[in-house]
Amino acid sequence: MSFVPKTQAFSGKINSVTLGTGDKAVVLGGQNTLPFHTFDAPTENAPKIGVEISDLASEWIAPALQEFYAGCQTMADYARRAETMPGADFLTLHFESADPNGRNRSVEECVADAKAVAEVVSMPIAIMGCKNVEKDGQLFAKIAEALQGKNIVVLSAREEDYKAVGASVALAYGQKVGAESADDINLAKQLNIMLKGLGVAPTSIVMNVGTAAVGYGYEYVASTLDRIRAAALAQSDADLQMPIIAPTSTDTWGVKESVMSEEDMPEWGNQEERGVQMEIATAAANLTGGADAVVMRHPAAVAAIKQFITELV
Amino acid sequence: MIKITFQIEGGNPVVIEANAGDNLLDLARRANVAIDAPCSGNGSCGKCRVKLVSGEVDSAPSRHIPPEEYQAGWRLACGCRVTQDAEIFVPDIASAYQSRMKTADLSSPEEVALFTAIEQDVQAAGIAFATGCCALDIALAEPTLDDTMPDDERLTWAVEEAAGVEDVQIPAPVMVKLAHTLRENGFHVCVKGCKTGASFRILDITGPEDRGIYAAAIDIGTTTVSAVIAQMPSGKIVAKGSSGNGQIRYGADVINRIIEQGKPGGRKKLQDAIVKETLTPVLANLCKSAGISARSILRLCVASNTTMNHLFVGVDAASVRMEPYVPSFFSWQGLLAGDVKLPANPLAPVLLAPNIGSYVGGDITAGVFASLIWNKPEFSLFIDLGTNGEIAFGNQDFLVSCACSAGPAFEGGDISCGMRATDGAIEACTIDLATMEPTVRIVGEQDQRPVGICGSGIIDIISELYRCGIINAKGLFIREGARVARDRHGMGRYILARPEESATEREISINEVDIDNFIRAKGAIFSAIEVLLTSVDMGIEAIDQVYVAGGIGSGINMKNAVNIGMFPDVPLEKFRYIGNSSLTGAYAMALSDQAAEKVDEVAKNMTYMELSTYPGYMDAFVAACFLPHTNRQLFPHSVQEA
Repeated sequence: MSFVPKTQAFSGKINSVTLGTGDKAVVLGGQNTLPFHTFDAPTENAPKIGVEISDLASEWIAPALQEFYAGCQTMADYARRAETMPGADFLTLHFESADPNGRNRSVEECVADAKAVAEVVSMPIAIMGCKNVEKDGQLFAKIAEALQGKNIVVLSAREEDYKAVGASVALAYGQKVGAESADDINLAKQLNIMLKGLGVAPTSIVMNVGTAAVGYGYEYVASTLDRIRAAALAQSDADLQMPIIAPTSTDTWGVKESVMSEEDMPEWGNQEERGVQMEIATAAANLTGGADAVVMRHPAAVAAIKQFITELV
Repeated sequence: MIKITFQIEGGNPVVIEANAGDNLLDLARRANVAIDAPCSGNGSCGKCRVKLVSGEVDSAPSRHIPPEEYQAGWRLACGCRVTQDAEIFVPDIASAYQSRMKTADLSSPEEVALFTAIEQDVQAAGIAFATGCCALDIALAEPTLDDTMPDDERLTWAVEEAAGVEDVQIPAPVMVKLAHTLRENGFHVCVKGCKTGASFRILDITGPEDRGIYAAAIDIGTTTVSAVIAQMPSGKIVAKGSSGNGQIRYGADVINRIIEQGKPGGRKKLQDAIVKETLTPVLANLCKSAGISARSILRLCVASNTTMNHLFVGVDAASVRMEPYVPSFFSWQGLLAGDVKLPANPLAPVLLAPNIGSYVGGDITAGVFASLIWNKPEFSLFIDLGTNGEIAFGNQDFLVSCACSAGPAFEGGDISCGMRATDGAIEACTIDLATMEPTVRIVGEQDQRPVGICGSGIIDIISELYRCGIINAKGLFIREGARVARDRHGMGRYILARPEESATEREISINEVDIDNFIRAKGAIFSAIEVLLTSVDMGIEAIDQVYVAGGIGSGINMKNAVNIGMFPDVPLEKFRYIGNSSLTGAYAMALSDQAAEKVDEVAKNMTYMELSTYPGYMDAFVAACFLPHTNRQLFPHSVQEA
């Protein structure tokens, strides 16, 4: 008698959310299994990688990164180059310099950048802001308007600004909206309920349920991802069945393992390698926990994670 | 010397001498000028508003005082240092907490009914309503040259015979007045005392006509103190009254009081505040209105939370708030009225309802007893809404309890226009779905104008705002209208009374921060209920009966409380408001030895659960901080119509 493996069928299913248009459009979610449990059911859509392009990318110091983007001047240059990165599924434009407490770049300049990128790339676009609630609100609305029809995703609407962001991005301009909460299943669910209450269709919502670099309180992220996926699949909780995008590189490239130079920490070895390892470890953890997409930066890390996904799905 | 004059609204001015640099709130306390300071003067609550009439004080602007009001002279008393002679206007609202002493309010049939009901219920549970206290009519043969037996022996023999005991104790205060009382009354006297087994302890000796003996039951709440005096053995209530707890000026919650009592001389100050300034006038007034002498009160029972009974006795309460949270006593007998100088017979025993934890005290054990949930087969939930929310669940076979920190929101604290349920408080509210106009009910006389909002009013307002789609499930304003305003930071508020409509000429409104504070309070209550039920592996459907106790007022609208997810969504007919169950429990203990024993037994059998060490509590709490709840399925009857 041959061995017949038992499969675990869930009644719940993760929503399928399409980003972008045309040939390069990607679909996030859609599965009714735990991450990479291909033995239960085939994974509908393999997890995706969004390559991060920051408006401060010229300050990135990792040699391989500099080499990869050599000669790039504008955000559009960076974006076009990023599209060629093996493993890239979509592009994430990160407007760090809009921060009023930092460079305070104007909304108009940022929108112009976003438009320029949209004109030269064919991959789907995700937008990340500067974390300042007020500025992000204005920025997101303008970018969503300028990129109408491109089916972008805006990361993210938070409890403080979900109304403004949800209304402009999703309702007025028909884009996708990310719901960002801080490592708590209930807070994540509450935000989704409120976005739905605003009239945003569940299929227009993705989640960022909180992130951290591994070793920096990542246990909270891990258990939050776990519990959200379990609630979505096992309990069929429609308020938690949105696919998850986990910004990874923004955390991992800021921790001391990535920023301490080899001169200061000779015993830690090569700085760039450390940064790449942190990014790979965190992205792998996010995907294993339940993220449907990760935002990454370094070509070597992207390649490793792409291989990781391909082999497991 | 600097002279500070307090002009009290509706009262006589008070003058006090001060040194430069003295804090104005401290001075007011010293001068016995009542200013409500729930945060005990650390500048966080903004309630101690006073107005500078003349002179100057050194004060920093506060976020609680808008610039135009600062211009008009308004200051926070706690933030002022005196520098020169000044006249300070103290608005009545600041002293409103000292709700006027209400005595003999027996006119209200509901009030009496509560006590009659408990007496009947307790007797039906097989507990005799009787104590060893009695008054004996004793006629002695007068001594002669042939009959030279001393007074005490003469009395002892007679009492032994009359009471059927073998041993009679005559304490010193009785001995001192014995000779005089016997001779003044021709050796025909009334002996008042207490029989325990085969011994009799004389507590007082009076003339033969003075035969009345009484028991007093007292509930010391963190905010409010209430008391009844009842005749023994009939249990008939002769006077009932209540008053604000005089300790309020040392902080609104137990933690602030414990910190205050830890300062030099603090224990004495706090004890004086409750005994001398609060209980003494309350009992004296009750005696006066009932026409009885304080000496004829032979038995007292005090039900209060652990901190309150420690401070009442004068015991250091510091360990209540320090890990591992072990108080000085749970169940302690041995206190006499004379020990704390209460106006009662100094030899009268003062029973203390037993504590079972640092945050589950005698008010709960007495309350649980009064609810009789320990005598019923069906599963009952007991909720005492106070500054600390206390929950008990169980039936005749088991009881579990826990306490959660709800904060002072139910009593109007932490709410910008919050107040206790006294005159001028908005206690109920409905809002029109289309026009968003409110209709309110206000405590007090017919034409009373609103002063603020009390706990039951806040429940109604939030429930109505949610039902009308004016706020979302997080308590943020999502609908605009004439009644919705926003400050310069965009924070929304709902206006219940415009300045010209209110009694204080200030707008009465509820803002997003208030709503958020209240959502946390209700979240604490509901999550505690949920965790308590989960700990015994039961769900909300297991609840057969819900008893709601506490000073939030009979005005509490259960439907609205369910609508906002404060109480579990069970059929409304299962809810019963039982008023101040701590007082009714104390009443039973004061009038029945068996009841007092039973409360001890119930307390010993009650399992106390410490929520702070329960891993799932925080999660349940966050889930409950949403209207009505993150898990909507728990509240199928909660509605949002717009």
